[in-house]
Amino acid sequence: MKSLKVCFLISVLILSLSVTVFAARIEISSPGEQTIPLALTRLLPIGVGGAQPALAREFQEVLENDLEMSGLFEFVDPAAFLGDAERLGLSRTDIDFNQWRMLGSEALIKGGYSVSSGKVTIELRLYDVITQRLLTGRRYLGNSTDVRKIAHTFADQVLKSLTGEEGPFSTKIAYISNRTGHKELYLMDVDGYQPIRMTDHRSIVLNPDFSPTRKEVIFTSYKNGNPDLFRKEIYTGRESRVSLKPGLNIGGRYSPDGREIALTLSKDKNSELYLIGTDGTVHRRLTNHYGIDVDPTWSPNGQKIAFVSDRRGNPNIFIVNVHSLEVSRLTFEGKYNATPAWNPKDDRIAFARMDNGVFNVFTIREDGSDERQLTFGAGSKEHPRWSPDGRFLIYSHDLAGEKSIWIMRADGTGARRISAPGGNDIHPAWSVRW
Amino acid sequence: MESSRKQRWRQLQSVFEPGFKQMLLISLLLHLLVPVLYYAPFFPQRDIRKPPVYRVNLVNKPVKNPQAGRPEAVAEKKKPEAKPAPKPEPKPLPPSPKPVAPKPEPVKPKPVPVKPKPEPQPEPKAVAKKPEVKPAPVPAPEPVKTGPTKAQESALEKRLREIREAQEKKAQETARKDRLAALKAAAVAESAKKSPIADAPVGMIGGKGDEEGVSAVAFVQEFIQQQWSFSKYQAAGNPQAEVKLFYSTDGELLHYKFLKKSGNEAFDDSLIRAITKSRQLPQALPEAMEFHIFFNLKDMLDRR
Amino acid sequence: MQKLTITRLVVMLFALTLLASGCAKKPVAEQTTMTEQPAQVEVQQQQPAGVAEQSVTDTGAGSYDAAAAARAAENAATSGLQRIHFDFDQYVLTDAAKTILVNNAGLLRAAPAIKVLIEGHCDERGSDEYNLALGEKRALATKNYLVSLGVPAERLSVISYGEEMPLDGARTKEAWAKNRRADFKVKR
Repeated sequence: MKSLKVCFLISVLILSLSVTVFAARIEISSPGEQTIPLALTRLLPIGVGGAQPALAREFQEVLENDLEMSGLFEFVDPAAFLGDAERLGLSRTDIDFNQWRMLGSEALIKGGYSVSSGKVTIELRLYDVITQRLLTGRRYLGNSTDVRKIAHTFADQVLKSLTGEEGPFSTKIAYISNRTGHKELYLMDVDGYQPIRMTDHRSIVLNPDFSPTRKEVIFTSYKNGNPDLFRKEIYTGRESRVSLKPGLNIGGRYSPDGREIALTLSKDKNSELYLIGTDGTVHRRLTNHYGIDVDPTWSPNGQKIAFVSDRRGNPNIFIVNVHSLEVSRLTFEGKYNATPAWNPKDDRIAFARMDNGVFNVFTIREDGSDERQLTFGAGSKEHPRWSPDGRFLIYSHDLAGEKSIWIMRADGTGARRISAPGGNDIHPAWSVRW
Repeated sequence: MESSRKQRWRQLQSVFEPGFKQMLLISLLLHLLVPVLYYAPFFPQRDIRKPPVYRVNLVNKPVKNPQAGRPEAVAEKKKPEAKPAPKPEPKPLPPSPKPVAPKPEPVKPKPVPVKPKPEPQPEPKAVAKKPEVKPAPVPAPEPVKTGPTKAQESALEKRLREIREAQEKKAQETARKDRLAALKAAAVAESAKKSPIADAPVGMIGGKGDEEGVSAVAFVQEFIQQQWSFSKYQAAGNPQAEVKLFYSTDGELLHYKFLKKSGNEAFDDSLIRAITKSRQLPQALPEAMEFHIFFNLKDMLDRR
Repeated sequence: MQKLTITRLVVMLFALTLLASGCAKKPVAEQTTMTEQPAQVEVQQQQPAGVAEQSVTDTGAGSYDAAAAARAAENAATSGLQRIHFDFDQYVLTDAAKTILVNNAGLLRAAPAIKVLIEGHCDERGSDEYNLALGEKRALATKNYLVSLGVPAERLSVISYGEEMPLDGARTKEAWAKNRRADFKVKR
């Protein structure tokens, strides 16, 4: 290294002596700032509708929360906002970019709203402060109850224009809660707002999964006395049984193309993984072992399925090739590895490992390398599931006896609770973008 | 027992004997060849040779041939000490006679950019508050709501604009002063931390030249890196880009060109922002210079 | 193919030795396993055994009131069937469990009209899905043992509730031990 240094310096010297202008080669291998400084201004009233500060505040809260969760930004202190923040001018020529630049921001969000007869119009712009370029501009029309949804949708767009990949904030999370006294299926926003109960089985409802192609959820319910697999259309509420074989019909997971469902059946007196059609007909048996085989999760290309098996003694994660049915073992550390979830965008598999009676969330590559622990400490964190863009994980966190749904970034940072207190919330599942 | 063992040993030896020594020799030679081959310049290096990483204090002057020293040492601080303590080698400057005279010259200009910095330090608090307080009664929405006669409006607007402009100017100034002060403070803090020798000369670690300052190349590298904002949550894959930049002697970016784009739009955009922010270097360069900068994320830790 | 048959043989041999050892241990077990079970459970265990014996002699006598006797047997079975417990992450029957199942089998043989649903349960530790499968293994192990004791398989059905229906919601070793169980629900 030293000799390299010397060589470099000597060459620099020689070059600088021989030619007046020389090209120095420089490598910059990491950015000096690892967040984007963003100025998020208050939504201002446009036109004659009049000011509705509550609306503007709610919008701001939702948007800021989403953007904060993304981890991309460092917010420029709103207290430092100068004249331009209070000026409605949304177009490029109206904005004093130099001012924003002086404040150290590189991105700027400005927006306005108007309300007339219950309808809300919100117009938003995201600017690159440095190049003074409009990155995205959107106008949303909706009911006054849609403010949160509009904020989430715009947050998705902000991520899209700054990363190339749309955010997941306007999607939904399904989960199981016992707040009525029975375990029922619920649906909520990604930030935990607007929870809605979807079932009234007054039995035990478990482990939902979203269809990637239809607005539909599958789940297991004991409604008819046996753990059967149900399907429910989210907007019509129509419900039917997909698989009602004797014994277990559990852990249903739609294939990435939405044509098949992987699940555990025990119709042959032992839990095995099967592929069934969406009409419930058995297409294929995937495992053949006297041990327990549960918890399938599809690889993004639909060629492989990771699952939990105790075929080597303790529960561990294995991977089966859907075509060749070849099985390979994925996890070797720890004594209890369960609930795998394959990142829909890459080769990482999240799972929960129990150590001293406490589960924590880990990720590992498909080839078994680069295992990372994402959560730490007391209180089990179980049942991780990915956001459709692979940026975030949701899981069930047991805090002092009450389980709730939490969200964190894929690297384990930014963990926060999203489901409201008042019951045990488990088995989260993240919808795709519809 | 003994004899049988010896016999066996002899047998073994006889098996070894014929070519054993030669084999050993050849093997030794071959092993020696390995490092020779490794270090010999037979194979051109495919990778970009990574230049040494320097930590550069942006308060220090970029020079062509930096002397040995500490980048975190502050030139300004050193000078008052230089007079009473003529111990260190590079400091024959003040006492020494004419022959060395050209050297102090590059030293002198330093106080010019450096000196104004300490002044604003006590001020910023008082000044910074003003723009915060004032905008509240001023804001633009007011004229929109009232919307009286146009004359009134325009007069009002004019005054508002004037006030705003004044504020902005003040704010800009204070912001700039703040930044300089912060830079300065950071530099002082760093030098206080890292160089236990108070009179450490300004220079580069491993510097071989005779000028007080830091390598211009390292200076530009450090400056542009500081202007570059990119989040690891934006990264997909392993983006790499190569940019050519041409700076004039007074540190102005005359033109730049992407020699290779990464293909990752977010990454390339962030580089354009960094370059735009580096249009004017805070210090002059020893000469007009061209830089080929390779941007990548090798050192960004814990990527997704 | 050859490999398969060989492994099959090995597995069968292994299963046979397991069975043999299980059978051999049975009589000895009653005393040794006492310590593992809470004392109260043992006491309850003895009583239904006595009732069961009575009902057997009744049916043996036969003629005078068969219907009443049958009803008595059914009542005895309904109230007398005892739950069994398992070790953590295990579905192998313990010796104590086998002892109880011998009693339960007697009660069931005495009341041929009743059908029984065997529920497999787990403690709250472990993943939900895995425990559903484990609970089913427990229920099936219980059923198979009863069948081996002469109870017709058609009268026995199984269901797993995993960790969904704990007897004791506490997070103590005692509570978990209580919750790892197979319950018997009589269906007339």
